[in-house]
Amino acid sequence: MEQEMFNQRTDLSQLSAAVDQIRQSLSHVIIGQKDTIDLLIAGLLADGHLLLEGVPGVAKTLSAKLVAKCISATFSRIQFTPDLMPSDVLGTAVFSPKTAEFQFRQGPIFGNIILVDEINRAPAKTQSALFEAMEERQITVDGNTYKLEEPFMVLATQNPIEQEGTYRLPEAQLDRFLFKIEVKYPSLAEEIEILTSQHQQKTEDQLKEIKAVLSVEQIKTLRATIKSLFVEPKLLAYVAQITHETRHNKSLYLGASPRASLAIVNGAKAIAAMAGRDFVTPDDIIKVAAPVLAHRIMLSPEKEMEGLTTADVVAQIIKKIEVPR
Amino acid sequence: MRSILVFLIFFIWANTVQATAVEKPVVKPVIKKGFVLKTDSSTIDLRKFDETAVKKYSKQKEFIYDDVAPQSLSLWDRFWRWFWRLINKIFSGGITGSIIKYILIAVVIAIVVFVVIKLIGIDYKFLIGKSKTVTVPFEESLENIHEIDFDEQIDFALQNKNYRLAVRLLYLKTLKKLSDKELINWQPEKTNQAYVLELENENYKQEFNVLTNQFEYIWYGEFFIDKLDFDSINQSFLQFNQKMI
Repeated sequence: MEQEMFNQRTDLSQLSAAVDQIRQSLSHVIIGQKDTIDLLIAGLLADGHLLLEGVPGVAKTLSAKLVAKCISATFSRIQFTPDLMPSDVLGTAVFSPKTAEFQFRQGPIFGNIILVDEINRAPAKTQSALFEAMEERQITVDGNTYKLEEPFMVLATQNPIEQEGTYRLPEAQLDRFLFKIEVKYPSLAEEIEILTSQHQQKTEDQLKEIKAVLSVEQIKTLRATIKSLFVEPKLLAYVAQITHETRHNKSLYLGASPRASLAIVNGAKAIAAMAGRDFVTPDDIIKVAAPVLAHRIMLSPEKEMEGLTTADVVAQIIKKIEVPR
Repeated sequence: MRSILVFLIFFIWANTVQATAVEKPVVKPVIKKGFVLKTDSSTIDLRKFDETAVKKYSKQKEFIYDDVAPQSLSLWDRFWRWFWRLINKIFSGGITGSIIKYILIAVVIAIVVFVVIKLIGIDYKFLIGKSKTVTVPFEESLENIHEIDFDEQIDFALQNKNYRLAVRLLYLKTLKKLSDKELINWQPEKTNQAYVLELENENYKQEFNVLTNQFEYIWYGEFFIDKLDFDSINQSFLQFNQKMI
C-alpha cells in the first residue's frame, strides 16, 4: 500500500542495488560487524572521510581495504610511522638533471581512496599534512596548489589512544572525519564463524572474488542523489538542537562545531537512502549522531576520570531533546 | 683442647655470675640537728598615701578609667543582637522540642550542600531523577499530548483541507491511546520506531509499523495526499484504534 501511495520522487533503485552488492561482498569476508559495514557504506555515499578505531585484530584495515576494493578507483595506502614526514604523504620537489629544474613528484595522497593505516602512530606534524587535503580536496606545496581527484576519501585506522607509541589526533583533524566507527569485538557465535571460515580457507578465496561494484562516475552520481534528499525543516532544527546542547553540556569541555551539524545531516541522508527513503527521519539522525559527534567533543577532566565516554554523553543529550513529530 | 674449652666456658660463666650479683644498698643513719629561730627586732616605718598627690592624679585625663559613657547601638547592631539571641535561644533549648529547630538545621544544611554543588559544578539534576527534557521551539510542541482535543483538531484540519496535519493528529491520537492502555511508555524524546519496538503484541507491532511508515512518509517526507488518500489512511487508523478497545 505504501509503495502505491508513496511513489518515490527520487529514483533510488541504482543506489539500493549498489548498497546490496557492497553489503554482500563485505559480509562474505567480514563476519558480523553489521553496523560497521553500514556506516562504512554510509560514509562512502555521504562523501566523508572515515576513522576506524579498535583494538588490534578486529579487521579495521581489512574493512577499509574491502571498501576500497568495491570501488573501481585509484587506491593508495600510507602506513603512518613515527618517522614519517609530511613530504612522504604529499610529495616533494625533485631536481631533474635533464631539464635542470625542480619537478613535483606526487605523494600517495594523490588517489581516490587513501587508506591511512595506524594514523595515530605519526606525530602531529605529519598528521596535519592531511588538513588541507581532507577539507579542501587540494594540497599546497612550494606555493603551488594541486587539486585532488574526485572522489577523494580518506579511510584511516587507529588503535585506542591509551596504547603505547601513539599520538592523539589534533581536534582540527578529528573534526574532518565524518564518522568515527568503533570496530568492536565479534560475538562468540561470530568468532566461531570466523574460525570455521578461516579453517576451511574460505576467506582467502572470497577475498580474491571481491570485484569492484561501483565506478568513479557512479559514485559521483549516487553522492549527488543523496545530497538532493529531502529533510524536513523541523528535523534540521532537531539536529541543530543536538549540536547546540553539546556546547552547553556540563560534562563536556569542548562541544561540536557547525561542521558536525552538517555531518549529521549528510550522514542521516545516506542512512535514509540506504533504507530506500528519499527523506530523513529522526531515527536516521539518531543513528549517526554518536559516530559523528563522539570524536568531535571532549569530556571535562572530572567526567573523564569518572569513566564516562563521549558516546555516553551523546546518548544522554539525545534522551533530553524532544523528537519533532 | 677439650679441657681448654671447658675451662673457658667455666671461666666465662663464673664472671657472669659475679657481675650480675645484686649489691644491697648501705643505709646510713641520719643525724638531725636542732633549728634556731631568729627574732626580727627592727623598727617598722609606717608609710601613708600622699592625699594631695592622689587628688592631683585623679584629675588627670590619663588616670580616669571608668567613666566612659556607653554609646547607643545602631539599628543594624540591634538586629544582629536580636538575631543571635534568637539563635542562641533556639539552640540552647529555649524552644526545646519545637520542630523549628530541626527545620532550621535542615535549611542550613540544604543551603550549604547547594552552595558546594554549585561551586564544584556537579549536575544536580540526577537528584531529581529524570533529566529535564529540552524542548525544541516548535510551533506544535508535544509536551501536552494528553491535553489535546484530537477530534476537534482533526475536524478543524479537515475543514482547512490540511490532510497532512490531519494524519499527524491521527498518529498522535493513536500514540495517546497506546500510552493510555500502557502498551507504550510515552516520552517526547522517543522516536516512532522506538514505540514500534516497545509493543509486545506482534499483531499490534506489525499494524502500528505500517501506520508509522505512513505517518513518516507524509509528515517527514512531505508526500502530498488528497482526500481519497486521507480516507484510506483514516480507515486503517480507525481499525487499529478499534482493535485496542
